[in-house]
Amino acid sequence: MKGIAISYAVTAALLVAGPWLLGEGGLRFATECLLILAMAQMWNLLAGYAGLVSFGHQVFVGIGAYGLFLISDTLDLSPYWVLPIAPLACAVVASVIALPLFRLREAYFSIAMWVFSEIVAALVTKAAWLGGSAGLPLRSSRLLDLDWFEPVLFWIAGGLALGTIGGLFLLMRSGFGLGLMSVRDNDLAAMSVGVDVQRNRFIVFVLSAAGCGLAGAVSFLGNLYVSPAAAFDVNWVVYMMFIVMIGGIGTLEGPIIGTVIFFGLRELITDQLGYSAGWYLVALGTVAVIVMLWSPRGLWPPLRDRFGLKLLGVGRTAPTAPDVPPLAGKVGQLG
Amino acid sequence: MVDVLRVAGLCKSFGVIRVADDLDFKLALGECLGVIGPNGAGKSSVLNLIVGLIRADAGSISLDGRDITHVPAHRRARLGIGRAFQIPQPFPHLTAYENVLVAATYGGGLHGSAAADWAMDVLGRTSLAVKADRIAGALPLIDRKSLEFAKALASKPRLILLDEIAAGLTEPEVERLIEIIAGVKADHAMIWIEHIPHALRAVADRILVLNFGRKVLEGPPGEVMDSRTVKEIYMGLTADDAA
Ligand SMILES: Nc1ncnc2c1ncn2[C@@H]1O[C@H](COP(=O)(O)OP(=O)(O)O)[C@@H](O)[C@H]1O
Ligand SMILES: [Mg+2]
Repeated sequence: MKGIAISYAVTAALLVAGPWLLGEGGLRFATECLLILAMAQMWNLLAGYAGLVSFGHQVFVGIGAYGLFLISDTLDLSPYWVLPIAPLACAVVASVIALPLFRLREAYFSIAMWVFSEIVAALVTKAAWLGGSAGLPLRSSRLLDLDWFEPVLFWIAGGLALGTIGGLFLLMRSGFGLGLMSVRDNDLAAMSVGVDVQRNRFIVFVLSAAGCGLAGAVSFLGNLYVSPAAAFDVNWVVYMMFIVMIGGIGTLEGPIIGTVIFFGLRELITDQLGYSAGWYLVALGTVAVIVMLWSPRGLWPPLRDRFGLKLLGVGRTAPTAPDVPPLAGKVGQLG
Repeated sequence: MVDVLRVAGLCKSFGVIRVADDLDFKLALGECLGVIGPNGAGKSSVLNLIVGLIRADAGSISLDGRDITHVPAHRRARLGIGRAFQIPQPFPHLTAYENVLVAATYGGGLHGSAAADWAMDVLGRTSLAVKADRIAGALPLIDRKSLEFAKALASKPRLILLDEIAAGLTEPEVERLIEIIAGVKADHAMIWIEHIPHALRAVADRILVLNFGRKVLEGPPGEVMDSRTVKEIYMGLTADDAA
């Protein structure tokens, strides 16, 4: 616990110092990594802990981005101050669509999410007041201090990534988190000992949508421009899924490892080796297949078990290291 | 005194398969009802109906005089039903302690140190205390069976449902399990599905024989076990012991 607090503080300090440690290009790249990491954690929260695999999380990226642009421009307020609108809007949308969507199970839920995202994207494309297919520039960008723009975005992204990891860590250690992990492991058994599985799913769905929306808004704030094709791009959720699946679904460490591999691979192939983005996707797919074949639950669980690693341990140890209780030894040996 | 469990006119079919056919029975505190019957008779399904994992076609179920026929499963658990599955259903990536803690927290409604102490108490009673910090998915069968019982007990139930919890265990393990179950019997109402005659004789007050979802017999253990009906149903069905 102490070790975790220290490394958390060190990471936070590094993030504060980031703009002076990284060059301009490095800063942009780091901001992107941190935002994708936050999104992947949010997707993981939903898929890994509530068993809901969404193929449509890009809808929250898009709604968050459009929400920010629209409100910021309409009210002529600095986009920084309007940022909280993005998660709020996504939370509202998620709570409304949860009702019909939760009647669907497994693949039907996944596909329904995707369809919903496509519908929203089509509506936005048709909406002249949202700029149609051409999209919207961020007019309120004149309210921003452009000298500090990149560093501030980096700090927001860093705060978001660190905040989601810290938040999820605390969540998993709470009573609610214990319930979440029980649902992750066995929803039938969880129900049978009193866990309200549907309520858990609802809360997690709303949280996941809100987090994704905030990350999406920050991402498009960085571009000062949003278009439906980019905001509702299915690649968003593909990246989230890839990162979570290869890193380790249902763990907090998995998405961190996944993000490192995801961007490491991208830099290696498109930057170092100079191949096209197409080859990068081929490489991603290959890596994903190999990892899935070797360890269906991603890289982190086998690494953790093999080497006894504990990074963000959310386990609870039994209160008293008990002496051998009556008769236990006898029965245990027989098993 | 109100019965802990009262089942009246319970019916359930899966297509042509009847798993509950106009079932009536009741159960008081401190009472254990043994349930026997051939494989596929509907024994596990009746437990599923009582805990709310499947919905009844007709009939009613009440717990402590309260109709729970339409109450969702997690609320029934909180109201006081604990169940040990025939095939152990642990939370595989959590420790034995955490498994029991989930039940103590949600089903038992306990928090903080009260939940932790009660979880340890239950682990002690079920001989799992030494393995409290072991990952449940890696426990051997006897421990996973004990953990099923521990989870059921930890939710502070009024009614405990045990589904072939002794099946597949060695004789000394069965003895130990009987001891554990007998130890908590007085404070609970209990249904115990089991094929091991001497285990039921030791604990059950009454035995209900189920066949094609119908109650064919109900009475004192000795009487039921020695009846012609049971011998006929079980004739050539000794393989059931291993199921
Ligand atoms: N959810 C279900 N859907 C369809 N059929 C089921 C379901 N659950 C049980 N059955 C069927 O009901 C019958 C009774 O099963 P079960 O209650 O497990 O019997 P028992 O526990 O007495 O061996 C079996 O034929 C089984 O295949
Ligand atoms: Mg059965």
